[in-house]
Amino acid sequence: MADILSETVEQEDLKKFEKIYHEQLSKNDVTIKAQFDYAWCLVRSKYPADIQKGIMLLEDLYTTNEPGQRDYIFYLAVGNARLKDYSKALGYARSFLTIEPGNQQVISLERTIKKKMEEEGLMGMAIVGGAVLAIGAIVGFGVALAKAK
Amino acid sequence: MSTGPYNYSYIFKYIIIGDMGVGKSCLLHQFTEKKFMADCPHTIGVEFGTRIIEVSGQKVKLQIWDTAGQERFRAVTRSYYRGAAGALMVYDITRRSTYNHLSSWLTDTRNLTNSSTVIFLIGNKCDLEGQRDVTYEEASKFAEENGLLFVEASAKTGDNVEEAFLETAKKIYQSIQDGRLDLNAAESGVQHKPSQPGRNNLSNDQQTNRDNCAC
Repeated sequence: MADILSETVEQEDLKKFEKIYHEQLSKNDVTIKAQFDYAWCLVRSKYPADIQKGIMLLEDLYTTNEPGQRDYIFYLAVGNARLKDYSKALGYARSFLTIEPGNQQVISLERTIKKKMEEEGLMGMAIVGGAVLAIGAIVGFGVALAKAK
Repeated sequence: MSTGPYNYSYIFKYIIIGDMGVGKSCLLHQFTEKKFMADCPHTIGVEFGTRIIEVSGQKVKLQIWDTAGQERFRAVTRSYYRGAAGALMVYDITRRSTYNHLSSWLTDTRNLTNSSTVIFLIGNKCDLEGQRDVTYEEASKFAEENGLLFVEASAKTGDNVEEAFLETAKKIYQSIQDGRLDLNAAESGVQHKPSQPGRNNLSNDQQTNRDNCAC
């Protein structure tokens, strides 16, 4: 139930950082910290719409604040993986690793993403298998109908 | 997540906290991989590690959240304290400032975890005796006054690393046995996973029967 891609933020924490962000937004003075804290909570939400919003905030930070890019790329990889956009997630992880090749945290994230893909690949096959059975049943039903005529 | 039989009976949640650069991630890496990371970059947000250990004959899975020490992450990393059964609080014996900040880390831990959370103080980098800035006696006294377990350890040589993680688990397990830690409480940081004995054996038996079938 717990790894970097499946743990979820508590609603009260999300609300807390959302409030800070919105207060600053209303004054048109959002600090990098408030935006990052809120985005970090959003990408850990169980709701895809929140994660999407978190990704947008991180992409915005990435283009406006160079010193923090390392943090943003990492959580962009996490957010995209949580949305099951695995190729994009792996792209972020790889671009991180071209700059810091030995970073264990990112290597471990890459491994977790690949594991998720594998698990879901198998699940995908199971669904295809199920569909084949269903088609088989329909064909069988058709044959039975034809015979009845 | 998985519906199959678990190969452990308990899950304990740990957090690792302390100033930046004290070696939190290196301790985690030494514990999970039995290797020293020589060039250890700053952790981003939180890092996660697991290892299955044995406590009093029971298999226990440790889920360890290693928090970034940099101040800018501190607001959000506080949300990972909730429901931790064990907290490893780390300072660097060669940098006095990391020791001086312990009371602030301890306050956070006490405020954000529950009363049964086991707190273990680790003085890391004890291989660097020549650069020592905090005496063993002083830290030991601090630990005693605050009811903390304490060792000096080295993520580099591996000294006392196993001990710190395992002693914490033993203490948590004791709390369960004593009934001080309520397994049903949402934020105990412990999950009990009843094992399913015989399930594997059954399928093995069926396999054997099939193999023996003459037809």
